[in-house]
Amino acid sequence: MRNSPPETPVSSIGDRLPGPDPGAPLVQLFESLRPDLLRFAHWLARDRATAEDIVQESLLRAWRSREALKDPSAARAWLLTIVRREHARLYERKRLELVPLDEITEMQAALRPAEADGELFALRHAIMRLPIEYREPLALQVLGGFSTEEISRELALSSTAVLTRLFRARNKLRVIYGLSPAPDAAPEGAA
Amino acid sequence: MNCDAARLLIGADPHATSPELEAHVQGCAACARFREEMRDLDAHIHRAMQDPPQLARKRRAAPQWRQWALAASVVLATLAAVGVWLLRPNDSLAHEVVQHVQGEPESWLAAQQVSTAEIDKALRGAGVQLDLTSTHIMYAQSCFFRGHYVPHLVVQTAQGPATVMILRHQQVAGRASFHEAGLEGVIVPAPHGSIAVLTRGPANLDGIAAEFEHDMRWQQ
Repeated sequence: MRNSPPETPVSSIGDRLPGPDPGAPLVQLFESLRPDLLRFAHWLARDRATAEDIVQESLLRAWRSREALKDPSAARAWLLTIVRREHARLYERKRLELVPLDEITEMQAALRPAEADGELFALRHAIMRLPIEYREPLALQVLGGFSTEEISRELALSSTAVLTRLFRARNKLRVIYGLSPAPDAAPEGAA
Repeated sequence: MNCDAARLLIGADPHATSPELEAHVQGCAACARFREEMRDLDAHIHRAMQDPPQLARKRRAAPQWRQWALAASVVLATLAAVGVWLLRPNDSLAHEVVQHVQGEPESWLAAQQVSTAEIDKALRGAGVQLDLTSTHIMYAQSCFFRGHYVPHLVVQTAQGPATVMILRHQQVAGRASFHEAGLEGVIVPAPHGSIAVLTRGPANLDGIAAEFEHDMRWQQ
């Protein structure tokens, strides 16, 4: 929406980029990764519409900085970090969770009958309820395939802090899965 | 490597491996079992996260005339709803309580006692306080129910977990028990509104309700 001529469609970054197209393969690459980015942004923001805005803005930022992407095979991880930072910017600006938990609960409850698998529903619900400091590294690891070291660099945390957050995130989810929570194995003061 | 270190690594990434971790798991049946469980759980987490819930889209701001028309229709709808609300049978309250509890399946599984601060937070919206002398509260949320925030608690009893909802704004004429969707329940009148108690099996529902009523202080 921003920086676009009025007549320019906004549904796709490819439609919005000017000129004959030396960057066409890159645009195609970005577009092919959009579903992954949207899924990742959705778990961070807990709201589909906000996630779409975040991804749109992230793709524009990525396009403006495309010179920084030396290796197209690294595009997915690069874009995911841009999405994460864009979400963090929005989160900082609003200084609160982007979608209130009560709103999530209500929306989820309305959808419950459509869910065939109760266990997965409960798990999704529980992941959505995780605080952002646990949900974010979990999404980076599970959806982004980031290693602990990569997450610690991205989040500017120590490796121990990242391990602790990931441990605690999964430990909370153990309960939903019918397992007893493990004693907190995190070192004193971590995370 | 000790068990704490092994479990931290396994919990953080159930598929991670290192010579030290492998050596520990080889000699520690408990950590080996923990890793099996976490790998199994992790497969479900991966599956769950592939499909985020479809949440509602934000609404765009409507033109002013539409807002007035919307406001008028909301007033009419509210009047109609209030009429229906006043006339509806009591058993719909029990049904809605059951539906709400079913919507939070994880509440039954909570295994750790929640802090006093979390309990206070859950109670604050309903204007009640609880003397926590004898109860073990494992889950405490403030839930939106019938237009109000109500405390939704799960208390551990000798017969298993029991859900308690403090329904300050729901007046009932008298005690009503119900059995729905595998849940046993009772709604009893309280000095302000009512208290609902639900369990997944036989339990002294009235005793739990009485204990809560005794320990509860209602603010005006």
